[in-house]
Amino acid sequence: MTTLDTAPVAAPAAAPARAVRVWRTLRSSRAAVIGLSVVAVHVLIALLAPLLTTYDPIANSADEALLGPSRQHWAGTDQYGRDVLARVLYGGRYALGVSVTATLLTVALGTVIGCAAALRGGRFDDVLGRILDAVLSVPAILTLLVVVTALGTGPSVIVLAIAVVYVPQVVRVVRGAALAVVPQDYVTAARARGEGTWAILRREILPNITDVVCVEFAMRASWVVLLISSLSFLGFGADPPTPDWGLMVAENRTAITVVPMASLAPIIALATLVVGLNLAADGLSKAWGVDRIREGS
Amino acid sequence: MTPIVSVNSLSVAYRSGGRDVPVVHEVTLEVAKGRTLALVGESGSGKSTVAATLLGHLRHGSRITGGSVHIKGSDVFALPARELRRLRGGMVAMVAQNAGHALTPSMRIGRQIAEAGGDIPVTDLLEQVRLPRPAELARRYPHELSGGQQQRVAIAMAIAARPDVLVLDEPTTGLDVVTQRGVLDLISGLRDELGLAAVLVSHDLGVVAHLADEVTVLRSGRIVESAPTRTLFATPQDPYTRKLLASVPRLDDAGLALVGEAGEREVRPRAQVPANAPVAVSARDVTVDYGSSRAVHGVSFDVRRGEVLALVGESGSGKSTLAWTLAGLRTPSGGTLIHESGDLARPAERRPLSLRCRVQLVFQNADTSLNPRRSVGDAVRRPLQLFGTVTSPAEAAGRARKLISDVRLDPALADRLPAQLSGGQRQRIGIARALAGEPDVLIADEITTALDVSVQAEVLRLLDDLRRERDLACLFISHDLAVVRGIADRVAVLRHGVVVEEGPTEAVFASPGHPYTRQLMAAALEPDPDALPPGDDVTGWADAAEPDDLWTNHGNGHRVRRWRPALLEGNP
Repeated sequence: MTTLDTAPVAAPAAAPARAVRVWRTLRSSRAAVIGLSVVAVHVLIALLAPLLTTYDPIANSADEALLGPSRQHWAGTDQYGRDVLARVLYGGRYALGVSVTATLLTVALGTVIGCAAALRGGRFDDVLGRILDAVLSVPAILTLLVVVTALGTGPSVIVLAIAVVYVPQVVRVVRGAALAVVPQDYVTAARARGEGTWAILRREILPNITDVVCVEFAMRASWVVLLISSLSFLGFGADPPTPDWGLMVAENRTAITVVPMASLAPIIALATLVVGLNLAADGLSKAWGVDRIREGS
Repeated sequence: MTPIVSVNSLSVAYRSGGRDVPVVHEVTLEVAKGRTLALVGESGSGKSTVAATLLGHLRHGSRITGGSVHIKGSDVFALPARELRRLRGGMVAMVAQNAGHALTPSMRIGRQIAEAGGDIPVTDLLEQVRLPRPAELARRYPHELSGGQQQRVAIAMAIAARPDVLVLDEPTTGLDVVTQRGVLDLISGLRDELGLAAVLVSHDLGVVAHLADEVTVLRSGRIVESAPTRTLFATPQDPYTRKLLASVPRLDDAGLALVGEAGEREVRPRAQVPANAPVAVSARDVTVDYGSSRAVHGVSFDVRRGEVLALVGESGSGKSTLAWTLAGLRTPSGGTLIHESGDLARPAERRPLSLRCRVQLVFQNADTSLNPRRSVGDAVRRPLQLFGTVTSPAEAAGRARKLISDVRLDPALADRLPAQLSGGQRQRIGIARALAGEPDVLIADEITTALDVSVQAEVLRLLDDLRRERDLACLFISHDLAVVRGIADRVAVLRHGVVVEEGPTEAVFASPGHPYTRQLMAAALEPDPDALPPGDDVTGWADAAEPDDLWTNHGNGHRVRRWRPALLEGNP
């Protein structure tokens, strides 16, 4: 009976050990730590925007238009007299909200389809591969514009458009990673037990490609942020007067000589977020790569 | 005569987690010209590490903590880079375990050999390793050769620059018995011809007995015993050596050998299968196709409850295909495959649950058959839940613990990940997982091939215990005749997807009727330096089975597929 008693104690001990290992792996890569901190700061600012500024990001104020940086308006005001800093702070909400949703959807769809393609193989894989090739051969921005013009603007349409553009690429990457797992004997064992495709995917394959999926998430996120801002800049994304970085650049670029901060501030915000996401993706992939070698030896 | 190789109290350690972990501890050995020294030990004994130091190679993160390695009088680890390069290949050459991985896939054989240096023409080298039509072979790519041919090419590369020392790291592991015999004969021939000193790393005592003049037994990086081969095999001094030797299954054991801690050997007689035992699985004229090629060609057999039927053959004989078909991973293209509770001719996902859980497969390689990200307890619980034998997670956990202790493991291991277990423990978990469905048919696909010899003995004993306790019908797939001899009640010898001989183990081993069976037995290596290959030389033969007259019956279920000597063909 003693052996049975000791076991439940070991079970909770194993979970923190895993968390500690993940944390140690992350910490070993400086790039990942910096990148993740930058992203975390962005998220915090977006969440706490109402506490950080007292200005309304939307309310116009004609007599305060086109002011330079001052004590009242740290980053000045734009042509409608709105505080630029407030709009940059609130702008993160839109950028992060839409991109996180779009990336989550894209990576989730891509992962499921990619794994299924690797697992099922055969005709399903062939047909899917050709369809994805067809989608990939159309330039991304063109697809986006077609979807947006056809279905109108709005966050849900943007999310859908992003998914159409990026799912094929995620499928490619995940399928490649899953293909290395599928021939393993534990997948064969699951097949011999007669498990369904979904159960094999969730229990046997997904836990072994989480590193690839996480890195894919971080990398896609940075591209999605850029793409959404480009759309807004072109006038297909957020509708005015929504505070959005891409839109702000588009609105204020004519006045760039008068109030340069009105254009520069959103650009700086956008750049730091993308750089942070890129660093995180880079660092994660390196950290996990190293982790893998360690486990192997 | 001064030794060519001399290793003096060599110690090697690698750094892990900020401290030195010793892997080799004060190993001393010497090899003279024309002699062969074998380094024997189980995995993790440091035998490969010692062998690699002869080439001045250390694994990343390792360093020498003491002692020295001298080749022809020069200290290997004191040599400048240029000298070291000259040493490798020029003076010491290595033949690695897996020639398939050692050869560059995109380069023709001839160019690869030429790259190895030396002045001897490539065709001469290929002729020297006894490969047919060397000129044509030199233009081929590695993947166009068989495993045995690849290993011969690797040997040709090793001797290209006429080295003085040959390091052989498990040179025949992974090759079929017949191929292995050929490669070993080649190595010993070349050694005598070129007067090489050889260091052989092996876990296979049969290979060692066949090839080595002296043997050094390593355990956890320390020398346990060192003696001339004949002395060591006849009168092993150390208990560990005795146990190691005793663990090797022999062709003349009449049952499974149980080995004690000090190496005493007791052969347990085989379990008697009652005459009225019900047939668990019955196969009739089963054929399996891979595309247009036929892997299994009309195989028939019965396995009764409590009986072990061994399928023996070389790679490509179709024995694993047959196992996978039985497990529902392939669909037979012809014939019938029937279990007492249903038809097995369908793939696993289309078998009813009640049938699926009763036929279970244990994989050859336990390292890859367990999901590295899931605890071993989870691996055992999953089939319990899937087959609906438990109703609550708590019950599943309890049953999993019971199963883990049934395979003689500590149930506390349930929370470990597979990587935290040893190879033998992982294979036991593989068996526990198969037992979770309460099967009456267990298919064991080469389950001991990847294990060390003492672990192999334990796993075999476990399998034998389990079939007695649970009355399992067991299909035991193996290429190792000595293992089969100990555990199987009946044997079926497969060649190119056809059964050439089948019958009770005793009868088949006492009087093998088919030349192919005799060839397999002759190629099996006994751990005895004085062992002579049994039986006469096998000459050519041809299949002589007629559709309505397949077998020659030898009585008591022992039958041999009809054949005739090939020499008689054409000259009556």
